[in-house]
Amino acid sequence: MSEPDVIKPEMMKSYIWLQTADGSIQQVEQEVAIFCPFICHEIHAGMGSSKTYPISLPARVNPVTLSLILDYCRFHQVPGRSNKERKSFDEKFIRMDTNRLCELTSAADSLQLKPLVDLTSRALARMIEGKTPEEIRETFHIPDDLTEEEKLEPLKNITDDPRIRLLNRLYARKRKELKEKEKLKNVEVEAEHVDDRSVDELLSFINGENGDSKEVKTAKNKKKNRRRKEQQKNAPPVCANSNTSSSPSNGTKESNGVSSVSRDDRVKGHCLPNISELLKLQDSEDDRFALDDDFDDCDIGDGIDPEIKEQIDREVEDFARRLNSDWPERVQELLSLGQERRPSLYSINGNGCSTKRSNASGLEKHEK
Amino acid sequence: MHGEDYITDLPESIIETILTKLPLRDVVRTSVLSSKWRYKWATLTELEFNDTCVSHIHHSALAAAKLVKFVNQFLLLHDGPINRFTIDSAYLQRSPYLDQWLLFLSRKDVQELNIGFCGGDWFRAPSCLFSCKKLTALELVRCVLHPPLYFKGFPNLKHLSLKQVHITRDAVENLISSCTLLESLTLLYFDSRKLTIRAPNLTCLVLEGEFEDICLENTPMLAVISVAMYINDDIAQHYDQSSSCNFYQFLGGVPSIQRLTGHGFFTKYISIGNTLGEIQPTYRQLKVIDLYQVSFDNLKEIMVILRLLLSAPNLQALQIGGSADASLATDAVDLDFWDKECPRDATFEQLKSVKMTQMLGLPHEMRLIEFLLGNSPVLELMDVSQNVHDETDENDDESEMYMEILRFETASAEVVIAFTENYE
Repeated sequence: MSEPDVIKPEMMKSYIWLQTADGSIQQVEQEVAIFCPFICHEIHAGMGSSKTYPISLPARVNPVTLSLILDYCRFHQVPGRSNKERKSFDEKFIRMDTNRLCELTSAADSLQLKPLVDLTSRALARMIEGKTPEEIRETFHIPDDLTEEEKLEPLKNITDDPRIRLLNRLYARKRKELKEKEKLKNVEVEAEHVDDRSVDELLSFINGENGDSKEVKTAKNKKKNRRRKEQQKNAPPVCANSNTSSSPSNGTKESNGVSSVSRDDRVKGHCLPNISELLKLQDSEDDRFALDDDFDDCDIGDGIDPEIKEQIDREVEDFARRLNSDWPERVQELLSLGQERRPSLYSINGNGCSTKRSNASGLEKHEK
Repeated sequence: MHGEDYITDLPESIIETILTKLPLRDVVRTSVLSSKWRYKWATLTELEFNDTCVSHIHHSALAAAKLVKFVNQFLLLHDGPINRFTIDSAYLQRSPYLDQWLLFLSRKDVQELNIGFCGGDWFRAPSCLFSCKKLTALELVRCVLHPPLYFKGFPNLKHLSLKQVHITRDAVENLISSCTLLESLTLLYFDSRKLTIRAPNLTCLVLEGEFEDICLENTPMLAVISVAMYINDDIAQHYDQSSSCNFYQFLGGVPSIQRLTGHGFFTKYISIGNTLGEIQPTYRQLKVIDLYQVSFDNLKEIMVILRLLLSAPNLQALQIGGSADASLATDAVDLDFWDKECPRDATFEQLKSVKMTQMLGLPHEMRLIEFLLGNSPVLELMDVSQNVHDETDENDDESEMYMEILRFETASAEVVIAFTENYE
C-alpha cells in the first residue's frame, strides 16, 4: 500500500494472486475470489497473498474462462441481491457460444463452484433435450462415427422411438443416394429434391412434434390392414361419424380415441373389436417394426429402382403427414377402413396422395 | 463442421450432471451420438421414469406396456449402482414387473425410492422392498404396505413419505419407530384415524387427512410441523366427547419447534380438552405460526391462538386465516375474555409481520388485531384481508373494519397497515 494519507475504501480490499496454467498471473479482489471453494481452500493454506506465491489454478481454467468465472462470482457474492436479479443475471451470463460454455463448465467444475456448474449444465442440457442426434452432433461437433448397424443395435427397442430409427434409415438412404448422385447426375435431380425435402421436412416435423409414434404405428398397421380391407367392407359407416370429440393429440387426459369410440353405443358391437385387435397388433408388432419393415428396402444396395424409390418417397411423405395429424382423426381412419369414400392412403399409382387432412402439411406442395 | 468435439471429453461427473437434467428418453437417445457416447447414459445413478419416457399414447394399457418395456430394457442395459429410482405413472398399475424391479434395485443398493402409480388400483408393495437396506428416502403413493414380521426397519432411512397408503396403524407406528434415523415424515391420507409417533430424530412432520387423535410421544427434535386435519361426522362426535388435552398431547413434547402450520380443523383439534393443571411449555425457537380456517366465533380456538402467541417469545411471523363463515357471526360473543385472559404487559418482541386473511370483521378478529397491534413494538406489517359478501354494502365507503383498525393503538411506529377487500 503506497497511499497512506488518502485511504479510499478500495484500498482496504485485499487482493489475491491467481495463476492460470499458461503462466499468466492476475490479481483479484479477495472477496470475489473466495466465492470459489478451490480458491478459498488455497487461501486458507496460505497461498495467493503475494505475486510470488500465486494460487495455481487447475489446468482446465484458462484466462478467458477465469475472467467469466470471476464475473459470475463478483455478481453473486454480493449478498443483497434478489432472486429475480440473480436469475436474470444468470440467463444473460450463459449466452455464449457452445464451445466456451463447455470450457466454462469444465473450469467451474475444477474450481468446485457448484452453482455455476449447475447453471451451465442446465444450459447444455437444454441444448440436448428434444433435439435429434444430428442436431446435437452439430451443436457440439461430435463426430458421427457409429455405423448404421451400430446405431440400430441393441438399443432399438429401448429407445423405442420409431422416429430415430426412421431417421437413421433415411439418412442411410440419403447418403447412398448422394453417392448415386455423383454417378448419375441430371435425371435424378428432381427426385433428389423431393427426397431432400422429405428428409428435411421430416426433421422439422419431428423436431416440432411431441412424438406421436402411435401415428407411425397406425400407419404401419394400415398397410397390413389394407389386405383385410375387403373383409371390413361391411363395417358400419356410423363409425366414421361417431368420434366428433376432437381432442388434440397431446391434450387428452383420460379419454382417448379408443374409449370415446367405445362410448358410442351404435359402434360398440362392430368397431370395438377391430380397435382392440389393431392395438394388439401394434403392441406385438413393435419388435418386428425394427426388422422387417418396408422401409428396409431403402437399405438395399445402390441399384435402387427409380420406381421403388418413388414409392418410398411417397411413403415417407405419408409418414410425415401422419406425424402431423391428430389421434382422433387416426381412429376415424381406422374405423372407416371399409369405406369406399375414404381414399387409400397408399396409392402406388403415381397419382399423388389426395388427403382430406390438410393440417398445415408443408409436403402438400410435393404432391404431383 | 470439422471442429473438435466440445462436450464428449468433459469429466464424467459433468456429463452425469447434464444427463440428470434431461428426461430419460433424451438420455437414452444420446447413445446414438457417437461411439464414445454409446454407454455414457448407462452409468447414470439417478433414474426417473415417467410417462414421458414413452411417446404420447393415450390408450392406458398400451402406454403402461410400453413403459414397462422401457424400464425393463433400461435396467437390463444399465451398468453400475443406482442411487435413486423414481417411477411415476398415471398409466401403470399393478405390474408383476414391479416386484422384479424392486428386487433388482435392492441388489443395487438403491438409496432413494419413489414409486407413484397414480392411476387405478393400489399396488401391493412386494416384500423385497423391505430388503432395500440402504434406503435413505422412500416415497410411496397409493400402495398397500404390509411389512413382514421379520422386518426391523430401514436402518438408514431419513425421509419417509406415504401418500394414500393402506397400512395398519400398528404397522406404520412400528415402521416409524424402527427407523431410528428418521428425520422427515409425511403421511397423507392415512387409513387409521389415530396415530402415535415415536421418532427421536424427527425434525419435520407433515400430516394430512382425517384424524381423530394424534399423539407426538417422542419427538423432541421436531422443528417443523404442518398438519391439515379434516373431519367427518364420526370424528366430530369424537371431538365433542374427548377428554384428553389435545394441545399437550400434540404440542407438549416439541420444545424445539420452529415452524407450525395448521389447516382445516387443526386449531379446533388442539383446542379440545382441559388444560387446567398442565404446565405451559415455552417455545423459544418458534418463529413462524400459520393457522388457517380458524373459527373466530369459537372461544376455545381463540384461546389456543393466544396460548401459542404467549408461549412463543421469539415469534417473527404470524399468519391467521379465518373460516369465512359469515353465518357464525350471530352468536353472542364473550368479549370479557380479552380483558381477563390477556396479560396487558405481553410483548411480542420479535414479531415483524402479521397477516390476517379471510376476515369477516367479527368481534374476536378485531380484538386479536388490536391486541397484536398494541403489543408488537417492532411490527413492520399488518396485512388484513376482509371477505365481503354483499357488494352493495361497501362499494364507495371505506370499509368499517379498516377504519376501526386504523383507530387502534399501535406499539410500533413503523408499522404499515395493508387492507384488502375480497369480493365474493
